[in-house]
Amino acid sequence: MGNGRTKVLVLGDGAAGIIISNKLRLLTDRERVSISIVGNTPLHYFKPDGIHIPLNLKNYKDSVKPTAFVINPGIDYIRDMATHIDPENRKVSLLGGKVLDYDILIVATGNRFAPDEIPGYSGNANHFYDLPSAIDLRDQLRKFKGGKIVIGQASIPIQCPPAPYEFTFQLEDYLRTRGIRDRTDIDYVYPLNRVFTIANVSDEVQRLFDEKNINYHTLFNVESIDPEKKQVNSLEGETVDYDLLVMIPPHRGQRFITESGLADESGYMDVDRHKLNYKDHDDLFAIGDATNLPISKAGATAHFESEYLANRLAYETSGHVYDESYNGEVACTTVTGEGTAMTLYFSYTKPPRAWYESKFDYLLKWTSADTYFTAMLRGIM
Amino acid sequence: MADEIKPDKVVDARGSFCPGPLMEMIKAYKQAKIGDVISVYSTDSGTKKDAAAWISKSGNQLIGVFDRNGYYEITMKKVK
Repeated sequence: MGNGRTKVLVLGDGAAGIIISNKLRLLTDRERVSISIVGNTPLHYFKPDGIHIPLNLKNYKDSVKPTAFVINPGIDYIRDMATHIDPENRKVSLLGGKVLDYDILIVATGNRFAPDEIPGYSGNANHFYDLPSAIDLRDQLRKFKGGKIVIGQASIPIQCPPAPYEFTFQLEDYLRTRGIRDRTDIDYVYPLNRVFTIANVSDEVQRLFDEKNINYHTLFNVESIDPEKKQVNSLEGETVDYDLLVMIPPHRGQRFITESGLADESGYMDVDRHKLNYKDHDDLFAIGDATNLPISKAGATAHFESEYLANRLAYETSGHVYDESYNGEVACTTVTGEGTAMTLYFSYTKPPRAWYESKFDYLLKWTSADTYFTAMLRGIM
Repeated sequence: MADEIKPDKVVDARGSFCPGPLMEMIKAYKQAKIGDVISVYSTDSGTKKDAAAWISKSGNQLIGVFDRNGYYEITMKKVK
């Protein structure tokens, strides 16, 4: 803390990194706390729109903003990538050769896709978890005239666990609108013994799948894809044919986290569930998708974690004690069909308690990019 | 008697919630050899049903589900 100024360094310029930086900037004095964020993403993409863009429901241009624009004034944006963390000496090495020191480090480096873990995945499977892939899938769907669409996720965990079923519900509407639903079978494959991670939500999703004549295959962990036969094979010995395959690739944490000795081979950091600090370090935290916490990897999670951590650091850097805890709170709105959605509230100990599908929730979902860019990402909500 | 089988691999997933223990078991299965016995420790009661369902569907052998002192042990044998 040179000159009495606390140096906060944030790694990652995705949702988690920007929300925590912007919130902390609003809560702290620039003379007492400096904030730097490291990342090299030119455009910030609102990922939840990935379920809309392939189905022509949104123009992708409304889902992106320049990253430099969404970082609040008073934050130093370092366009580079972290390659190593040395927590004992409080130093971070960057790809460009610089070494940064810090008083407080927040790791918010998210996920990486690991398609190579599935033989046959690359070049044959589509997904909508980044913008180029969502646009490619839109183009594939435009050419689709009927047949068999298989949707699923190759393994667990993934970002935004509801997105595969949300996309499936909207795809069903899209096919009906185009008049080709009666010529299309939809098959949904899922690694667990149900169609979603949370049991009572899964029951409801399953009911809607039955109502919409969507087939589902549970305990289906994707082992390989055979592009010649157009088949997806599971570890459990099941095979599903496809004409168009929408498969969310395996996700992993960043390699440099593992190589820095801060995570196992999954790349996800083991942080305290209630305090978000790494093991016994009170100067090293992780938030968002970079953690191995037993909650959804989602922007909504990063938002709630940032609320806790920004408040904590604002108190502690001004010499006060902060004794609140993060209890796994998440709220997210998920699409359930044509013009309907529902909002799930849950925490470590409380599963979502209510199921209210409504058009109002759909409006919330539909306007969420605007809410995100104007308020949530800015740290004022 | 099944209770006395010594596992080749033990996965301690106590403290993690569904789907953590099942995914840990599948990961251990992928790394195991045919004939290996794998035990998973879990404090999540849902693992008993989910793990047994996965073992059955994947064509492997469920050796037993045991209530231990404050956790469950699910033991399987990799046969394919």
